[in-house]
Amino acid sequence: MQAYARTVSLAGLALAVIAALAGAQPEATARPATGSTTPAAAAPARADTFRSARTYPTVATPVRLRIRALRVDSTLQRLGRQDDGTVAVPERADVAGWYEDGPRPGQPGPAVILGHVDSRTGPGVFVDLRKLKRGTEIRVDRADGSTVTFRVRKVAQTAKTRFPTDLVYAPSLDPTLRLVTCGGSFDRTRGSYRDNVIVYADQA
Amino acid sequence: MLCLGLTAILSMGPAAVASRAPLVAHSEAAHVHQPARVSAADQAIRLQGLLGQHSILAADLMRSRIRGDDSFVQAADAALGQNTEAMTGLIGQLFGAAAATQFGPMWSDHVVDLVAYAAGVADQDTGALARARAQLTGSEQELADFFAGASHGRLPRAAARDAVLMHVDHLTRQADAYAAGDHATADRLYRQSFQHTYDLGLTLAEALLPAADRATLREPVWRLRSQLGKLLAEHAALVEDVSRAAVTGTPDFDAAAESINGNTRDVAAAVDTLFGAPVARRFQAQWASHVEQLVAYAGATAAGQNDRKQRVRAALHNFERGLAAILAPATGGRMTPAALTAALVQHDEMLLRHADLYAAKDYQGAHEVAGQTYEHMFELARRLADGFGAQVAARLPRGGPETGQGGLAGGHR
Repeated sequence: MQAYARTVSLAGLALAVIAALAGAQPEATARPATGSTTPAAAAPARADTFRSARTYPTVATPVRLRIRALRVDSTLQRLGRQDDGTVAVPERADVAGWYEDGPRPGQPGPAVILGHVDSRTGPGVFVDLRKLKRGTEIRVDRADGSTVTFRVRKVAQTAKTRFPTDLVYAPSLDPTLRLVTCGGSFDRTRGSYRDNVIVYADQA
Repeated sequence: MLCLGLTAILSMGPAAVASRAPLVAHSEAAHVHQPARVSAADQAIRLQGLLGQHSILAADLMRSRIRGDDSFVQAADAALGQNTEAMTGLIGQLFGAAAATQFGPMWSDHVVDLVAYAAGVADQDTGALARARAQLTGSEQELADFFAGASHGRLPRAAARDAVLMHVDHLTRQADAYAAGDHATADRLYRQSFQHTYDLGLTLAEALLPAADRATLREPVWRLRSQLGKLLAEHAALVEDVSRAAVTGTPDFDAAAESINGNTRDVAAAVDTLFGAPVARRFQAQWASHVEQLVAYAGATAAGQNDRKQRVRAALHNFERGLAAILAPATGGRMTPAALTAALVQHDEMLLRHADLYAAKDYQGAHEVAGQTYEHMFELARRLADGFGAQVAARLPRGGPETGQGGLAGGHR
């Protein structure tokens, strides 16, 4: 007999025994119940005093990004969308920026932080982003003094023409973080990189 | 060996015996809906749903065993059995018949061990508790070995063990706290158990499914469907939990109330993520009234105030129309106000019916309705998630950002 079927048979047999003995079983309510679960005399009144939560904890805006493994410690500029529908980028190469039309770090959903890999004058805040390893810790300080920690799950490099908008920005309700910069080969004619480097991190 | 097993079951009393009963007739209504053509990602969410439901039913069964409510024990046990049967069938569909053949008896033993633990707590029988703990440790190892083996190395044995251990730990600790009258701790663990066990379904699916299916599970649309389903299914379960406490007037009411309030905050926070704080605040005002009316209905049922119950129904109709008016635009017209109102009416009617059945001590009927309500939440979550996701997608930034000008980072062409 299969183990699974044997279990069912056992259950059936045991139930039959219990059914036969049912008259001999004490009433449920006659058992020595724990005092903690005994109905209270004025019980229904409790329901009348119930008040549902009408507020929820808000997550403060991010103010600083720290990645110890890369010696990154940057304040965060707020970024929105430009008129052409693309995301705005930080004004300075040494300062990262948070996309403020998306979730705040630690809120359900993907928070997105962008930074330059370099500028015409030197390396940017995310010059070594592609070197991050799985499990590396990323910390984001928030305006209320709290800090939220993420761990790198994946580092990917994709052509800008195939930028995975949904994977980076689309709402999932998972509290995650995306770090985005440029990478790959450099097109001198256009003065820009052909790829983006994207770090996918989960809240620790 | 079989005789020893049977003796052990009988010695635990009717509650423990009943936990063997689950593997009986399948009640379609009590299960998470399965469409005609089901993708692996759909099945993964169904696995999450069934695991979450297992957590709720197991905790409820353990609590009823502790308070000596045999009628509820029998009903919870039957519902848990249907859940086990559905999960075993799904494991077969996802990972093959051989996996299901192994999994079914192991999972049933796991349930038996949990009930034996609750019996030990209820009877304050230290010997029985020690035996139950030993059995639980054994079944944890068996389940962990099964999951790790089925994953072909993708889920390390230690990680599998940790996941199963945490599941059992949540359930046994909530039972301990419940018996001690520490309802705040018991209900905090009740929520943690649901959330962890629900998420365990994703861990297993990611470890056991083929690579292409695993990638799909991480796509935002599937994550949104899964996470919204989790929030709404928990809402239904916690409304039922607080309604039961309101009907019977047990001292766990305040803790149950705090649990549903925690879920309400989480649902509002999710709406904030999707549509911003102003919409979230409007949403929560409506949602909070909805929960208050449902609890008031349970209180009125306990007090036999039929006129008040009618007033609650009228207030709920206002909520249904009001919330539909907020949510319909957020789906970009993918759900009309009428369709949303109809879905919310169905939701409320099931929860009111659950309270009535529970008050009438029709625990089997209450569990059947609870199963239907749980399933309905996943259907609604999917429709809302698809509407919300598409609406939000329309305003996302386009293209890859220009975050480099110096050419220091890569090759030059």
